[in-house]
Amino acid sequence: MSGHILKTYDDNLHHLKDMVLEMGGNAVLALEKSINGLIEGDRELCAEVIDDDEVIDAAEKKIDEQGMSILLRYNPVASDLRLVFSSINICRSLERIGDHAVNIAKRSRKILKGPGSDQTRLLEPLYLEARKIVSAAMTAYSDVDEKGGHAVIEMDRLVDDAHKSLTKSLSSRIADQEGEEGKSTEAMLNILFISRSLERIGDLAVNIAEDVVFITSAEDIRHT
Amino acid sequence: MTDTPEILDSQDAIAPVLGDTIIKIDDLSFSYDLGKTNTLRNISLDIPSGKVTAFIGPSGCGKSTLLRCLNRMNDLVTTAQVTTGKIDILGQDIHAPDVEAIELRKHVGMVFQKYNPFPKSIYENVAYGLRVQGIKKKAILDQAVEESLKKAALWSEVKDRLNTSALGLSGGQQQRLCIARTIAVKPQIVLMDEPCSALDPIATARIEELIDELRQEFTIVIVTHNMQQATRVSDRTAFFYLGELIEYDETTTIFGNPSKKQTEDYVSGRFG
Repeated sequence: MSGHILKTYDDNLHHLKDMVLEMGGNAVLALEKSINGLIEGDRELCAEVIDDDEVIDAAEKKIDEQGMSILLRYNPVASDLRLVFSSINICRSLERIGDHAVNIAKRSRKILKGPGSDQTRLLEPLYLEARKIVSAAMTAYSDVDEKGGHAVIEMDRLVDDAHKSLTKSLSSRIADQEGEEGKSTEAMLNILFISRSLERIGDLAVNIAEDVVFITSAEDIRHT
Repeated sequence: MTDTPEILDSQDAIAPVLGDTIIKIDDLSFSYDLGKTNTLRNISLDIPSGKVTAFIGPSGCGKSTLLRCLNRMNDLVTTAQVTTGKIDILGQDIHAPDVEAIELRKHVGMVFQKYNPFPKSIYENVAYGLRVQGIKKKAILDQAVEESLKKAALWSEVKDRLNTSALGLSGGQQQRLCIARTIAVKPQIVLMDEPCSALDPIATARIEELIDELRQEFTIVIVTHNMQQATRVSDRTAFFYLGELIEYDETTTIFGNPSKKQTEDYVSGRFG
């Protein structure tokens, strides 16, 4: 689409989009670090995720400010209005992804504090799906790609399947350990919580994708 | 009706049902130079009754020309002519040989860009059209003046000085007086050609509020360059470009998700 007559309007919309993409990059990075910290036994990496969450939180506030400023100064309509509205929505989802990464990092530290668990590798397939879906959602946003948005929604099934499979596997392992000392059970419960966070991250990626579809088609596909 | 000297009682006209087509424009082409060039080309548009319809588009797109076609104001231009198509208002072809422009304007009033009260008292401005109709009884005139000024949201500001000159009012008040003068003769349709362009934001807000109230009783067609104004006051919006109707739909669609790229580009400030 051609640029606006008012160049500062274009500059501000581009800046808003860049801010959301940067926040998305930081959210994906937090997710990567939290899981890598667990799998590699690196508690420092997990601590970084917890510390760096304030960067993601600050980005949410900055994006809100930028979105409000555009609404106030340029009165956007049509696809411009949808872009601003959806960008603000998306940053809300990214902030929640950041929070889930922090939860994962905290649980990982707990696991690493104890004797560890050889079950952590079980998380890898789910993590890879979760990471893929968030990246795909941000790419769809970057490219303003309606098809990409719909593809993300389809991908969530894989995340859900991986979560269900992991839950089932952990449940049976916990049951097998009945009566034994609870340390490894505790680790497995923490893995279960991490699995739940990864599953929720998939849902948040779907929310982002729904916003992308709204930007391009003006169609609200939530809850359909 | 602001500038039409002869205003007759239009109450005997059939009242259209809310939402039914009151103005039907069918394949209208219009020329200012005896058909050499068409300023409007093949416009087809149904305007519903009891709604506010906005005409938007860049300067020169033909929106004011079309508005002026609706009460045959363009008849005043000697070289102007409809080259194809027709306009039906209240089911009547307005260019039919037996339709007088003055008769038409009893049903289709107009408010102009620049407020233009007569150099008379506030009271006489509003009573003018009724007097032309032959109404002389003071009680009837008093009642009509009060009702019209109330509907135009001006009564409380002028009720104690009805016999002072209208020219002493502020710009916004003068425009509301012109609206009161227009509605005093009870037209079914009120055309507004950039009614707020000469007003400050507060006076503009008052006129917009007034349009919202008047929509309950009149069909309003408004030409505006202010797109935020179109989004605030209108139910439906027509976008014109270079003499053609590009898109006509619910206002929320035109400004939220227009179907034509030209409309999207214009409403979002990508060309002008």
